[in-house]
Amino acid sequence: MKILVPVKRVIDYNVKVRVRQDGSGVETVNVKMSMNPFDEIAVEEAIRLQEAGRAEEIVAISIGAPQCQETIRTALAMGADRGILVETEQDLEPLGVSKVLRECVDRESPDLVIMGKQAIDDDCNQTAQILAGLLDWPQGAFASTLKFSDGRVDVTREIDGGLETLSLLLPAVISADLRLNEPRYVKLPNIMKAKKKPLDTIPIEELGIDVAPRVSTIKVEEPPARSGGIMVASVEELVDKLKNDAKVI
Amino acid sequence: MTDTNPPSERFLDAIRGALGPGACITDQAGIEPYVTEWRGILRGRCSLVTRPTSTAEVSRILSICNEARVAVTPQGGNTGMVAAALPQGGIVLSTERLNRIRELDSDNAAMVVEAGCVLKDLQDAAGQVGQLLPLSLGAEGSCHIGGNLATNAGGTMTVRFGNARDLVLGLEVVLAGGEVWDGLRTLRKNNTGYDLKHLFIGSEGTLGVITAAALKLFPGLGSTETVLAALNTPDDVLKLFVRLRVQLGDDILGFETFPSLGLKLARKHIPDIRDPFAGDYPQYALVEAFSHRRDPVLRESLNEAFATALDDGLILDAVVAESQAQSDALWRIRESIPEAHAKEGATIRHDVSVPVSKVPQFLTAGKTLVEQRLPGVRVIAFGHIGDGNIHFNLLQPEDMAKDRFLARMPELNRAVHDLVDSLGGSFSAEHGIGMVKREDLARYRPAVELRMMRGIKSLLDPNHIMNPGKLFLPEDLG
Repeated sequence: MKILVPVKRVIDYNVKVRVRQDGSGVETVNVKMSMNPFDEIAVEEAIRLQEAGRAEEIVAISIGAPQCQETIRTALAMGADRGILVETEQDLEPLGVSKVLRECVDRESPDLVIMGKQAIDDDCNQTAQILAGLLDWPQGAFASTLKFSDGRVDVTREIDGGLETLSLLLPAVISADLRLNEPRYVKLPNIMKAKKKPLDTIPIEELGIDVAPRVSTIKVEEPPARSGGIMVASVEELVDKLKNDAKVI
Repeated sequence: MTDTNPPSERFLDAIRGALGPGACITDQAGIEPYVTEWRGILRGRCSLVTRPTSTAEVSRILSICNEARVAVTPQGGNTGMVAAALPQGGIVLSTERLNRIRELDSDNAAMVVEAGCVLKDLQDAAGQVGQLLPLSLGAEGSCHIGGNLATNAGGTMTVRFGNARDLVLGLEVVLAGGEVWDGLRTLRKNNTGYDLKHLFIGSEGTLGVITAAALKLFPGLGSTETVLAALNTPDDVLKLFVRLRVQLGDDILGFETFPSLGLKLARKHIPDIRDPFAGDYPQYALVEAFSHRRDPVLRESLNEAFATALDDGLILDAVVAESQAQSDALWRIRESIPEAHAKEGATIRHDVSVPVSKVPQFLTAGKTLVEQRLPGVRVIAFGHIGDGNIHFNLLQPEDMAKDRFLARMPELNRAVHDLVDSLGGSFSAEHGIGMVKREDLARYRPAVELRMMRGIKSLLDPNHIMNPGKLFLPEDLG
């Protein structure tokens, strides 16, 4: 089995995100960037499949600025075999990302695409589903357990009210939920080895696809700061405040 | 002598009259937290807790207490390791409502803050304007900056930025008689006689009350990288430190070490601690490197340095944090060690320092020493090896009763501290003296040093109202 794992470079999960002064977006200058944590889980799952002898090759792919190479190198250090960077300075929407991925699927012919269920920067949760639609492949979103057997994969997914298990025919698209696994720490010798693993760069123009945004961002601003609470001395005062200040009763 | 008896009604009225509403606590339930030590070993006593909201109120309290000869114990977050803030009668002066940031001047890279500000809040406030307050320790979520200064706190960034003392530009102090010294200068150069602020830093509340401080700030951390390395021996840890200091210089923000048992106990007692390695290694080194810039070269040079160490066989393995979450998880191993061994059993702690080059010698000799005296004792030596500060903790033997083990404390303390002294070290590296190490102070410091200390004490606090029973044994002060 050959596995394609898309990985996105995002603002580190533990960084407090700030809005740019001009309101054009969030501040990324001088901000720590890491692999989208859900994608990290997807990479880990692919590596475990390889370690279990179920996968022959893992290809990590990222779309974005040259710095995304760092994210791909992380995937390679975790255990992926080679990387592809589709280079663009443009911010792609899930539709654009899915089209690029479809193109790469056509070129690479993987048996499985596994990625994070959403990226923690835009929280869209669309790419896996759109990609499955474009490819006309089965999809298993929010996977918490995978079981493979003769050309099929059983995906246990976390849904409202419980767990659901789907049996998909391969090739398929799967998106990873938080509980699928806990990603490993990257070992230093593997970081050094990862430097020698192949990483191809493809300029996005070369793919000849329309990735123009369908949505334009007018302005980004912080939510209004919460004003502090007050102490009330009596039930009467509380009722009065609720009625006349907060106007909720 | 100071009066440590319950205060008279007249005294209480005077204090109440001098302070705003809500400043006094006199009921036993309310007082309880102020006389309780988190270590759970000693207990304090007092019949009044005052919570002033301004320097003027602190001044009025001290003036009344000095007049009435009532003992005053200043208390911050009450997170100390040596019971220096535990009252032995008299009143407690809590800094908890002196908690304003008076000024944050990015251009001058300084902040002026009141004593009761919680350290974490100050780190965050500096971070909001892209600056760094480089003081970080386990209790940072509850300790007060006033307490950090009164005890000259250390912590995990000492190897790069020094102790709390090194971060102070100026102080505001209320003297024992109530007089206010406004030394809140934010100057980088000021050679005008004795540098008095340094007397109060580390004085553990025995000379006056620090009410506010002007602190140095540094440019924020642009990049940080965290590596956990596995090694064979403490000697190898030292070799790694020396090597990294040459290769990375000032990029090293923290350099900590802990043994296999430290990680094992953390995994046993603290939820969500993972072993980053598959195998079990004798010793670990946790290294944090930083740059003020967003700096991809930092990671490269760090990786190269560790790769060379791996090739040379100096380290056995290493993991590199790929995200802040992983970095936090690695640090959590180190930071949960004290809590983990407290859960495992009774502990006899030593907070010692020796010249960095003598750390391995101390660890080897110390381990032999205590194991000879008490077979089965479990040594967990961990801490800030980068500045020679080791927390040399002894965990009770598995088959020994807690009381019998703790009864050996004076003997084991003496043996360890004598060893430290013979290596030119200090019996208290960052925790201070408080009530716990007064005998050690008298034993290991030369007579001339003690005489100077007593002279300073008598000059600044002639009636000995400030935090009696701390630093000095009562008989030493006469």
